[in-house]
Amino acid sequence: MAACFWHCLRMRPCVVRKLVKAMKLVAFLATVDPNVCGGCRICSKVCPTLAITMVDKKPVVDSERCVACGNCEQRCESRAITLQKLAQSHVITVTVDDLPREQVDALCIRAGFHPSQILCYCSATRAEEVAAAIIKGAHSPEEITLRTGLRSGCSVECIQPALRLLQAYGITPTPPKGGWQWYGITPTLKEIPDAVKAKYQNHGFCFEEDLKLFESIVSSERR
Amino acid sequence: MRKVMMPAPARQSQYGVAPQFVTKRAAEYPEMTSLMLSDLFDDTPALIYPSEKGLSVIRDATRKALERVNMSMIKPGQSVNICASHHGFTMAGGHPYAEMLKTLHDVIAERTGCKNIRLRAGVGLRFRETEEYIKRFELDTYFGPNKAKGVAPIDEGIAIPTEIGTLYGIKAIYDADWIVHAHNSDVREVHFHRQVDRAVKPFGMSYARIETRSTYHQNLGPRGANFTARCIFASDFVQSKFAFASFLDMSPAGVVGVDADNDLFALNDRLTIKGCQYYGKIMTLLGEIDECIAVLDFPCPVPYVFAAGVIYANFVGANTDLFDIEDTALPAYTWYTEAFYGKNGPLINSIAPINPAIRMCVHNYAWGGYPSAFFAEHIPTIVVGAEQAESMNRDSQNVQYMKHALIAESTDSAMRFAYKAAKTDKVIIFDGAIGGVNLSTSLAELLVARAPSVSRKVDAVLLPKWLKQRGIDPVAALGLVAV
Repeated sequence: MAACFWHCLRMRPCVVRKLVKAMKLVAFLATVDPNVCGGCRICSKVCPTLAITMVDKKPVVDSERCVACGNCEQRCESRAITLQKLAQSHVITVTVDDLPREQVDALCIRAGFHPSQILCYCSATRAEEVAAAIIKGAHSPEEITLRTGLRSGCSVECIQPALRLLQAYGITPTPPKGGWQWYGITPTLKEIPDAVKAKYQNHGFCFEEDLKLFESIVSSERR
Repeated sequence: MRKVMMPAPARQSQYGVAPQFVTKRAAEYPEMTSLMLSDLFDDTPALIYPSEKGLSVIRDATRKALERVNMSMIKPGQSVNICASHHGFTMAGGHPYAEMLKTLHDVIAERTGCKNIRLRAGVGLRFRETEEYIKRFELDTYFGPNKAKGVAPIDEGIAIPTEIGTLYGIKAIYDADWIVHAHNSDVREVHFHRQVDRAVKPFGMSYARIETRSTYHQNLGPRGANFTARCIFASDFVQSKFAFASFLDMSPAGVVGVDADNDLFALNDRLTIKGCQYYGKIMTLLGEIDECIAVLDFPCPVPYVFAAGVIYANFVGANTDLFDIEDTALPAYTWYTEAFYGKNGPLINSIAPINPAIRMCVHNYAWGGYPSAFFAEHIPTIVVGAEQAESMNRDSQNVQYMKHALIAESTDSAMRFAYKAAKTDKVIIFDGAIGGVNLSTSLAELLVARAPSVSRKVDAVLLPKWLKQRGIDPVAALGLVAV
């Protein structure tokens, strides 16, 4: 870290992400106080890994599935949930190198991503890691989170990349029944109809220019 | 040189370090001074707030703006959601925005006879933030039992068919017969919305579900992102509920007025012009800074602390023209830019570096609750206090932040280190000082010297270009004489 610190001081491009492997450190566990819980079930509806189930109208947290995103704690109506520090933290990470590189790259590109592109701004998970997780059997956004850390931070910004990569792999996942985790895939720039683009061509949205930008990213030879 | 403006005190919040750990503010140092926006630019607009008259001017301005708004669609037995967003509560102490919301409640009740008027306050990524503001500004008391509610993007959603396909809103935003869009014109995240449809943005963000927000930041591109908001607002569903909009009209110095309209796009056109005018000059001037230490010292997430009305995220990109949507495809900081950093650096050549003028960042007081590792990763950053560092470590959105930052035990030791390491005495403090900026004398002298030429350049060259890029005729908009 110190070397990179001084590297940055000299105002040269920082390479620290080369050194810090994308991973999510899970150091906390959602913990329910059943005496405070009002049984509203919201915690189970917002958990991105389906770690919370209701037993006798009270939530039970599966410590193996909790990624400490804090969604349950943040939406609990009775403030019955806290994040407790784990005695032993663990790391979520997926290995890419044990898969054929061409297979991983092809999946990313089909979904419109460069393999090295960052998809999750909280965990710094890259497209190739999500692709690798899918190839290895993560066939829903929930399983992707458990294997890569994607959606384990804010849980807001990276649902579409997960759905796009699953779709590119030929999988159409079903939203968790009764949950609010996610509802569906949404359009990309490529799918905006020409008539719509023409209608707004003088508004400053730069659709065609941004499409070219995306293409230049996906086709970049860099890593 | 002026005395410094003491910033607002540290505030208790679940998203930041407890106030007792904020023991010194950067503005307390004797080498610091302040500049008002009006010291820099003669054409800084007159403010209505802050003023000696206090909040009554906000109430009066809101009432006056609403005189030209049609509310006849709202019937006495119906329900109205006044839709608000978190950011309004961080401007000028938050009181003006809260007062506008209260006035909206009163005027709607008076003019329509409607009794079921609710507040729905959306958030960024801190899902209880507006719950804190509702309590702090006593909006729960004002609106009545169970009428004021903070809403979050992971709450129950509602599908909204749009002209590009299905997007998703937060169900509670739309659970009334009518909605009133209560917002502000602060340019703020110009790196995201690019001052295109600024007034519409909350429909794709603080009123929207995760699917929509992910569409904004992952699917539609760095300049098309805010089209997400337009699609939702223009949908039949939203149009069937939209009554009118009321905006705090902001300049970087404070509140200029209140604007309201039944036609959001007409209001948007007015605010687009003013935003480019008011904020264009100070942003361009901050881009003239050659070297500095940036001190973060305000109770909000790292990218949103602000100086002279400009947020830190925009100062990080001040080496590029953030208003120029043709030549600046990717600001130095925006989420698309962050995405396009590969393992060995940018994936394409056209990604601008982070503003090289920022030699070092002293994180004296700023919250988590927004993914901020990118800033610490690219700018040498010293976090003051182990407690503050721990608050970042506890934040699921910032598990990587402290991997890139150092910890100093006090503001004094952080500043001493920063001066030595950065080899500059120029300091800019992002402490939300109202009406201007706290900064070092050396930096103040530079800004005062450069301001006249920046002002001329913006008026003659940049502003007409920015407006033209947004489909606005600069001659008509600015009252210029065509050459």
